[in-house]
Amino acid sequence: MSGTKSGINWIGLYTIVRREVSRMMRVPIQAFIAPWISALLFIFIFGFVVGGRISSIGGVPYIRFVLPGILMMNIVNASFLQSSTAIYFSRFLRFIEETLVSPMSYSEMIAGNLAVVVVRSTVTAIGILLMGLAFGATTVQSIPAFLFWVVAVSMIFGLMGIVIGLWSKSFEQLNVLTVFFITPLSMVGGVFNTVEMLPPWLRWLAWANPFFYFINGIRHSMIGFSETPAAVGYGFTTILAVVMFLWVLRLYSRGYGLRE
Amino acid sequence: MPTPALCIRNLRKVYRRGNVAVDNLSLTINEGDFFGFLGPNGAGKSTTIHCVTGIAEPTSGTIEIFGVDAVKNYREARRLVGLCTQEFNVDPFATPRQIVDWMGGYFGMARAERKTRIDFLMDRFELGPHEKKAFRELSGGLKRRVVLARALVNDPRLLILDEPTAGVDVELRRILWRYLQEINGDGRTILLTSHYLEEVERLCRDVAIVNNGRIVRQGTKDEIAGAPGGLENAYLAATGAAADHIAGQ
Repeated sequence: MSGTKSGINWIGLYTIVRREVSRMMRVPIQAFIAPWISALLFIFIFGFVVGGRISSIGGVPYIRFVLPGILMMNIVNASFLQSSTAIYFSRFLRFIEETLVSPMSYSEMIAGNLAVVVVRSTVTAIGILLMGLAFGATTVQSIPAFLFWVVAVSMIFGLMGIVIGLWSKSFEQLNVLTVFFITPLSMVGGVFNTVEMLPPWLRWLAWANPFFYFINGIRHSMIGFSETPAAVGYGFTTILAVVMFLWVLRLYSRGYGLRE
Repeated sequence: MPTPALCIRNLRKVYRRGNVAVDNLSLTINEGDFFGFLGPNGAGKSTTIHCVTGIAEPTSGTIEIFGVDAVKNYREARRLVGLCTQEFNVDPFATPRQIVDWMGGYFGMARAERKTRIDFLMDRFELGPHEKKAFRELSGGLKRRVVLARALVNDPRLLILDEPTAGVDVELRRILWRYLQEINGDGRTILLTSHYLEEVERLCRDVAIVNNGRIVRQGTKDEIAGAPGGLENAYLAATGAAADHIAGQ
């Protein structure tokens, strides 16, 4: 058998990507059309309806301030949804056993799932970015920085989705993180306002909220506006991604939610 | 002495709730053997197979596949094995060709190699006309053919079949028997679990009977089935069901 150069089963890893892309393309409306339409509506509402009545924030029109946050929320949702449903359904229907009985390593299984997460999030993000550029609702200050935030955040939430996919025993549990963690924290993470706009006693909540660094980072890459030194966001996000990867690798090695 | 195809020593599997599924089970299957693994439902057959193939984690004991430790060196060990599971553990929206192709991919087979192998298996199991239908649209017999083809895609040295003919028609059963005898004749080792004793009598050379997680009888088929009453009586006696069986008659 070929495809295992350098000890890595590249063909196996690519097969997971092919399988998940095939699964994703069975629901293109859910995967891509829905977030793009949602972003288009935000551009319309904040750009033309509400935006005209709100003075600029940080020296930029309101829609330019808000759109990076909207984009980041879509990256988070796309990446979490992709990996959590992939893992949960493969456990629920037991076809995860196909990979368990194969000579694939745990890191190859995780990397295959993460690659699809990154593809889905990047396509979603680029679609929203292009819409924003077409309507004059945003700019791009740094493409490498923009791509860093898309890839790094999608990896973090892809890994979080894997954890929830392994842990869930029902469809209900699959939504727990989204309802009680992702949605509330992203809403108060600086999508619609700066930290300065919050009452002083509430500002610590923003600084302690990881979503703040993600939204602030991608906003900086798009419109050049930032409320923290760039290194803080890059450092925090990179460390979080590595810690999450090691955690998921540990869960796979222990067979958590995978093996009987 | 040649390396056995499968060597299980003192295997014990205790599930999280304390249920002992396999208890100190030892088993050796020689290369080229056609081995029947019998036992009533819940006896520990599937759990043993799951421990061998990585679906379940052994609590204790060792498993070697052609001398390779199936836990410590699991990647190398799994290259040597093909598993046909009892249940249809597939993506129901995928097509038969996709299902078999993906399995070949997980085993690191290159595209051209996969295509040749899949074309052969689709032809062999008469899946050609159905290869582009969704798995969930197929009949029970066709679904069974797909999971068999999937188990064979990597041309394994040790083929493990967990009740492969459960619920399939006579035609497929005969196709499968012919094929299994053919690949066993080529030197492939086969471990078969089945509730059809005539199937085991027809195909296997060696037999083990498991009950309550332990092997209660083991030997050649001729030894076990040679006594009066044949394999059925030996099976019923070994599993403690003989008295009930006789009372029922």
